[in-house]
Amino acid sequence: MALLRIALINIARRRLRTSLTLCGIAVGVSAFVALVGFSKSFEREWLKLYQSEGTDLAVVQRTFLNTTVDESAGDKIRALPVVAEASPVVINLMDLTPEVNALAYGLAEDSYEMAPLQFLEGRTFRGEQAEVILGEVLAGNLGKKAGDEMEIQGASFRVAGVFRGGSALETGAVMMPIRQLQKLADLNGKVTAFHVRLRPAPAGQTAEEHLRQARAAIEKAVPGLKAVPAGERAHNNQFVSFARSIAWGTSLIALLAGALGIANTMAMAVFERTREIGILRALGWRRWRVMALIQWEAAALGLIGGMAGLAGGWGALRLLAALPMTANIAVGSISPLHAGEALAIALLTGLAAGALPAWRAARLSPVEALRHD
Amino acid sequence: MTDGLVLEARSLKREYDQGRIQALRGVDLGIARGEFVTISGPSGSGKSTLLQLLGGLDQPSSGEVLYRGSSLAGSFDLDTYRSRHVGFIFQAFYLLPALRVLDNVQIPMLEGGRGGRERRQRAEALLEEVGMTHRLRQYPNQLSAGERQRVAIARSLANDPEILLGDEPTGNLDSENSAKVMALLAGIQSRRNMTIVLVTHEADIARMGRRNIHLRDGRVVEG
Repeated sequence: MALLRIALINIARRRLRTSLTLCGIAVGVSAFVALVGFSKSFEREWLKLYQSEGTDLAVVQRTFLNTTVDESAGDKIRALPVVAEASPVVINLMDLTPEVNALAYGLAEDSYEMAPLQFLEGRTFRGEQAEVILGEVLAGNLGKKAGDEMEIQGASFRVAGVFRGGSALETGAVMMPIRQLQKLADLNGKVTAFHVRLRPAPAGQTAEEHLRQARAAIEKAVPGLKAVPAGERAHNNQFVSFARSIAWGTSLIALLAGALGIANTMAMAVFERTREIGILRALGWRRWRVMALIQWEAAALGLIGGMAGLAGGWGALRLLAALPMTANIAVGSISPLHAGEALAIALLTGLAAGALPAWRAARLSPVEALRHD
Repeated sequence: MTDGLVLEARSLKREYDQGRIQALRGVDLGIARGEFVTISGPSGSGKSTLLQLLGGLDQPSSGEVLYRGSSLAGSFDLDTYRSRHVGFIFQAFYLLPALRVLDNVQIPMLEGGRGGRERRQRAEALLEEVGMTHRLRQYPNQLSAGERQRVAIARSLANDPEILLGDEPTGNLDSENSAKVMALLAGIQSRRNMTIVLVTHEADIARMGRRNIHLRDGRVVEG
């Protein structure tokens, strides 16, 4: 006859209200699991993108909100002994058709970043010609193959080839000569970043020390720019930050709605059970025990709703992983860490929502509570 | 401490509504260990208020209640007093409707520091003492009024209190069940040498106590 059992009995007493409350918190947790899970997949794909290319550092402006870098910085970076290659890159999000948008990469034909691409048909683009290559998922979505023509923002391009990349961000992307993308994005003389591949660390120097020295050397050579390790860039670039902000923002709003549902349910329960609380106090229950009972009920609502939300979010991620528009990014599984985060958030939401009703219940005078109708 | 007294009331007053209502107007009384006392009086005479103050459910506007010579106001945490030294029974029984009989009796024991198995065994023993072993798994709404009060009596004994306080415990019972409940209480009192204080407005119940304290207009007029 532990406190938890009494709490579970109590929340089972009002089945309809409990079910609706659980739905509320489950929707919030589902949104968290699906949206934050999706943004994490997005982040993971960025990291894979850098890793598959072998990029060590990205040289960008200090502020991530405006990452246009003067193209002339490239010569200064390449001149550094620690730098093996520095490839200018323009990255943009473009509407290719009213239904399909995609990441567009502008790269030099001879960029080291082109090497890992595996061509399924055709070849890479050449020089500065009006040619594009399409990731296999994007080509499928657009119904294009090598040799086809396509229009991008009013300009005509020939599809030179279709490739398979190391990251979903490539297989769903369009790539073109950097000059062409600069022209489309009105970025003449500017690039988004320089992706840098470093020379191997000298004997006796750790990789971390080598990276730290390289960053310092680059930032000294091009004042005003920042050399960001690939992992950090994957985590903090504006696309990922935006996706993460949207995911957390939307989830928090949904969780807030769920929390209000629990708070309302617990406030109603305390009101309806005022006399029962008076009985418990008359029988010698201390204030903290009454508070603990209400908090157990709120926590149980949060946790049960959280588990339902976890299942719903997992279903949503599986759906995203199956849809053509998102299949290349979404992973239809949940990491144990993400599941743990979701349950912890659900539990904390329940406890936070139950705190005020629990405090009010604990403050009731036994005599006043026993008189309550 | 007055020798042998387990409960004392000294100049006990209880006012409500900023003094406009005076429920108790200075009550002095002493109750000895093992005494069976009834408190009677007309409606509004302050009997239930007196019981609430003796039981630590409420606090007086002035005066004091002493348990074994120590003031409840100064020397006791009222939660501890209620959970360890006092058991309550009420006219409306006040069983928790969502819990089975066996669970209802265990409720006070959650404050008693007993383990789960011990709580259960003790609840079973108490329910046997009140003749309710055949109803352990029933809910309160499946019991008759007399059975509910017997369960409430078992619950009041959960933490082995020294004092049992009853607020009109037969008020919702027919004559037959009233007699059974009073016989049960008398048996418990003699077996355990408990101090029992019952509030009642029924003259025949009031006469069952070893001593009757009669209240009128918030004052003791007899006893």
